[in-house]
Amino acid sequence: MQQKNLSIMHPRPSSIVAALYTLRDLNVEVAILHGPPGCSFKHARLLEEDGIRVVTTALDENGFVFGGHDRLVDMLQKVEERFSPKRIGVVGTCVSMIIGEELHEAVMEANLDAPVIEVEVHAGYNDNTKGVLFALESALDVGIIDRQEFERQQHLLNEATNVEKKYGAASKDYLEPSRGDVKYTVAKRVIEMLKAGKKGICILNAKKETAYMFADITVALQEVAEKLGVEDNIVNFANLDTELGLPRVRQHAEHILADMDNNVKIDEIIGGLDEYPIAGQQVRQLIESKYRDFDFAVIAGVPHAIPMEALEGMELISITNGPRQVHPLKDMGHKHVLVEIDLHPKTLGVTNIVESEFGATLRQLAREE
Amino acid sequence: MNPQKRIAIYGKGGIGKSSTASNVAAACADEGYNVMIIGCDPKSDSSITLLGGKRIPTILDILRDGMEIEEEDEVVFEGYKAVKCVEVGGPEPGIGCAGRGIIVAIQKLKKISQSMKEMDLIIYDVPGDIVCGGFVAPIRKGLVNEAYVLTSGEYMPLYAANNICKGLSRINTKLSGVICNSRSVSREEEIVNKFANEIGSELVAFIPKEQIVQDCERDGYSVLEKAGDTDIAEVYRTLARNIMASDCAVDPRALADERLRELTR
Repeated sequence: MQQKNLSIMHPRPSSIVAALYTLRDLNVEVAILHGPPGCSFKHARLLEEDGIRVVTTALDENGFVFGGHDRLVDMLQKVEERFSPKRIGVVGTCVSMIIGEELHEAVMEANLDAPVIEVEVHAGYNDNTKGVLFALESALDVGIIDRQEFERQQHLLNEATNVEKKYGAASKDYLEPSRGDVKYTVAKRVIEMLKAGKKGICILNAKKETAYMFADITVALQEVAEKLGVEDNIVNFANLDTELGLPRVRQHAEHILADMDNNVKIDEIIGGLDEYPIAGQQVRQLIESKYRDFDFAVIAGVPHAIPMEALEGMELISITNGPRQVHPLKDMGHKHVLVEIDLHPKTLGVTNIVESEFGATLRQLAREE
Repeated sequence: MNPQKRIAIYGKGGIGKSSTASNVAAACADEGYNVMIIGCDPKSDSSITLLGGKRIPTILDILRDGMEIEEEDEVVFEGYKAVKCVEVGGPEPGIGCAGRGIIVAIQKLKKISQSMKEMDLIIYDVPGDIVCGGFVAPIRKGLVNEAYVLTSGEYMPLYAANNICKGLSRINTKLSGVICNSRSVSREEEIVNKFANEIGSELVAFIPKEQIVQDCERDGYSVLEKAGDTDIAEVYRTLARNIMASDCAVDPRALADERLRELTR
């Protein structure tokens, strides 16, 4: 027997939403939420920006009492008639799981041509990665991914959960959200270091589509260094391997590299865009073997997944999109921590790098030099 | 090798499902079968007479304490003649959600139990009233492939049995037979026999009302263990053989209420 996790007070990411995002990565065209109309509204709306349609069976009080089987069968048929999707997902919610709805029975009864990925999930799991795992298990069952990819993803999810428990938003029973340090002040410090001839590593270690904005920091730093004539003092690491991950995730890496074009040279590829939980080991080896004498590091995306031993002696400037990640990063020893507020919504439905606030601040200050 | 039998015994609350289930389990174990009994009632008393009157920790007891179950020996206990006993457990009456409890516990058991696969017979002892979705979880999750209905010749238990037949067809589960647990009312065997025939099934056992069943239960034992040489023990043995040999499950046709009343008049 094993004791369960500590009880965390702040709201946490939802496994239902995690399942929806995973369905999107699996190129599902329509996802049906089997539950109340308001469940996961905000993310359902955002996902539509990313090209996946999300609909709901809109269970009401009567649905809770009498069951929602028929509504789900109707909805499956309606979705096929109206949208003719090539791939469909059905996702459980708290209420439908509590009353014992069987997604599989409804899917069998609806008898559609398109493959349906069934995800029996609610939001009551300590680790929201459970939603991802259940979606992938189901995708494996219907033959949309192979066992090798499934096992690779499973490993990454375990590592992601470990990182969150050790250094992330699941590391304390309560974490105060924070906007982090002022971008202007930190940008000034970066320029000061560049002008003083200090050497810096720019590490992009981002989760999937969030890289569309975090990559802007790599680009901005490059531009500023060039302007100051010190571009040789900067090396770029990025988890932009185009051969790893689900097809959609690889595509993000391709888009970003294409957008960087000849302006930015990525010196070291540290993994795929879904490998942010494990890329830290690669970073550690690279620094130990080649980049020991560097003075500072700018880390964007999931900075807390980079082991601190690797960064010893460097002044750290870290950029996250999680207001609850600020205090854990400061505790780890990151000197400057910045938050790109509302980053995620801006990175949905795009195929180009999106301007970041910190990138814009760096550029403006460099212009004023 | 014969395919594994996975049965559920349904019937009105208090009609003797647990007592029948545990005596059938014991009788099958006597015949050398590997048997598991899974109590799905929050009262968790299905297996008590196979364990000498002792209670075992339930799956939900362990989960409630915030513990993870990793090995099946934390929740699967051997009773009389190595019958494997499991109790789902549940919340206190009036709080939480017993239905969800069954879903969670059954999923957990399915995941951790290796020995389930080796069983010749698994009996799910389900609560009398299927009041919500969770109570059919064993069937819905594909765990049960045959159902039995237990009733007496009284009107209310027959009414419940008839309702259960409606429920079974809704969830695509076949009925393998009707068992009569006698309350010593008039024309009982005739009435239940007729009921069984009219719904398209058959009466597979008539268990007479005997004080000895109650006496064994009070001591915490099955009839097979404590009074194996009695006539009633033989009735359970015959029923057990019947269940193990059964191969004629049907889709039951529930009767109209008037017909049911006529039968019992």
